[in-house]
Amino acid sequence: MTQATTAYQKPIPLKDIDNAPYWDAADNHQLALQKCEDCTAYSQPPGPTCAKCGSENVRFEQLGDDITATVYSYVVSYRPFLPGFQDELPTIVALGQLDQVPEVKIMCNILHCEEKDLEIGMPIRMTWIDITEDRALPQWIPNTN
Amino acid sequence: MGTIKDRYAIVGVGESERSRKSGTTPLHLALDAARAAIKDAGLKATDIDGFMNYNEGDSCTSHQLATYLGVRPKYVKDIQGGGASTEMLIADAVALIEAGQLNTVLIYRSLNGSSGTRVGRGYDPDMLQGALAGGSFVIPYGSASPSQWFGMYATRHMHETGITKEHLGHVCLSFYEHAQRNPKAFLHGKPLTMETYLATPDISSPFNIHDSCLELDEGNAIIVTSAEKAKDCTSKPVYIMGMSARQCHPHVHYWNDIDQVASDYVAKELYENAGVTPDDIDVASIYDCFSWVVMRQLEAYGFAKRGEVGDFVAEGNLKIGGKLPTNTAGGMLSEGYTHGMNNAIEIVRQLRHDYEGTDRQVEDCKIGICTGWAGPDIAGAMILRN
Repeated sequence: MTQATTAYQKPIPLKDIDNAPYWDAADNHQLALQKCEDCTAYSQPPGPTCAKCGSENVRFEQLGDDITATVYSYVVSYRPFLPGFQDELPTIVALGQLDQVPEVKIMCNILHCEEKDLEIGMPIRMTWIDITEDRALPQWIPNTN
Repeated sequence: MGTIKDRYAIVGVGESERSRKSGTTPLHLALDAARAAIKDAGLKATDIDGFMNYNEGDSCTSHQLATYLGVRPKYVKDIQGGGASTEMLIADAVALIEAGQLNTVLIYRSLNGSSGTRVGRGYDPDMLQGALAGGSFVIPYGSASPSQWFGMYATRHMHETGITKEHLGHVCLSFYEHAQRNPKAFLHGKPLTMETYLATPDISSPFNIHDSCLELDEGNAIIVTSAEKAKDCTSKPVYIMGMSARQCHPHVHYWNDIDQVASDYVAKELYENAGVTPDDIDVASIYDCFSWVVMRQLEAYGFAKRGEVGDFVAEGNLKIGGKLPTNTAGGMLSEGYTHGMNNAIEIVRQLRHDYEGTDRQVEDCKIGICTGWAGPDIAGAMILRN
């Protein structure tokens, strides 16, 4: 009997000098957001400086793993635009407005969600899917609690 | 820019054949478009001393185009740019002429948009993650097409303003109807009914194939010169009344804030520069990569109030004979997609009354608006008159 190996076909988030703390946190099933020490704005996605005021005085704030949000907007795609999505159609891509930090919206798929149940304002919760041995991807799931 | 009012003009427009498969290179398409525009203006190629184009790595260079027109120009410029670039490069051309650097500038967009690179079909995953800082925050989620990025805006905006799928259909039907009057429109002979539209499944919500522009192989060219030099041309000059451009988002990743678009900011300065109001506009070219993008701009440019845009389009106001005849050659939804430039060409032809005596002419039109949308974050627009 041969060992079934299903390689992850979808694009894996590329870490770079600016976003690595976000993805490192994700790999540990945690959310980290970049925040400006000067103007207090969050930058999501993170960058080399604060996208609002240009300050270099930015740091990452750890928000933990209990992340809830509401659906701010979404699209439902019936065609794969990238490899790996062909077997999971339709794909829901949604912008979740964080309950903890409402000025931040994070885009993920919503997993385990029927299209008919999808609506703006719907409560969602962040989960992390292990996609390779050392990488994990933040995703949304309906928050039924 | 206010001081340039009526002192510069578009004096020539031209296009290549449009097709699904050109069988040739963007250089050949650009040469065809440039020759047509030069002929339209009644100029010689050597009268052009500046060549500019925008591209996404899918075109020929201005150097190549000039070379094979037999011209050794003073100035060539190629920019990586989106669908607001026609207006922005026209502003660059005006500035260079105003500065005494150039006399007459040809601006073109040429691409094998169907048989070559296709924007709407998604990008190579690593290319986009690497090329766009922040690509890694959308690409891993399967979001790689402008329909998905702009759709995120559309879903929220439709939710807030009551715009329905049927309203989007009215945008499509209006432009398709214009395409039936334009023998060169790619969807000439293929009219669209609301029944068919509503029965067509979405590719990515809220857009079906009719809501999405027609990616084709095509080259377009526009020639800009001073009002003074325009007198030497054989064409009727179409004067630039005002222009404006803007990049607006508080983050390079424009989905960070989907409640605003750059067009919201362009509109005010544009009307101030031109010295007109939305009521003065007789004919419009509104950037239409997707149907909803037209709706959002109608709101931004003050043609209908927020919340009333759906009714505005349902009343037939975008059709020839309506309050704001828009994309009268069929637009990018049904004529063809040249990244905005074909819509600019059409507004010039309308204002010159090139279609006089046919059902394509917007009667007595004097003032027109042409808007560009490089995305929610970058817009450029101009107001023209005859």
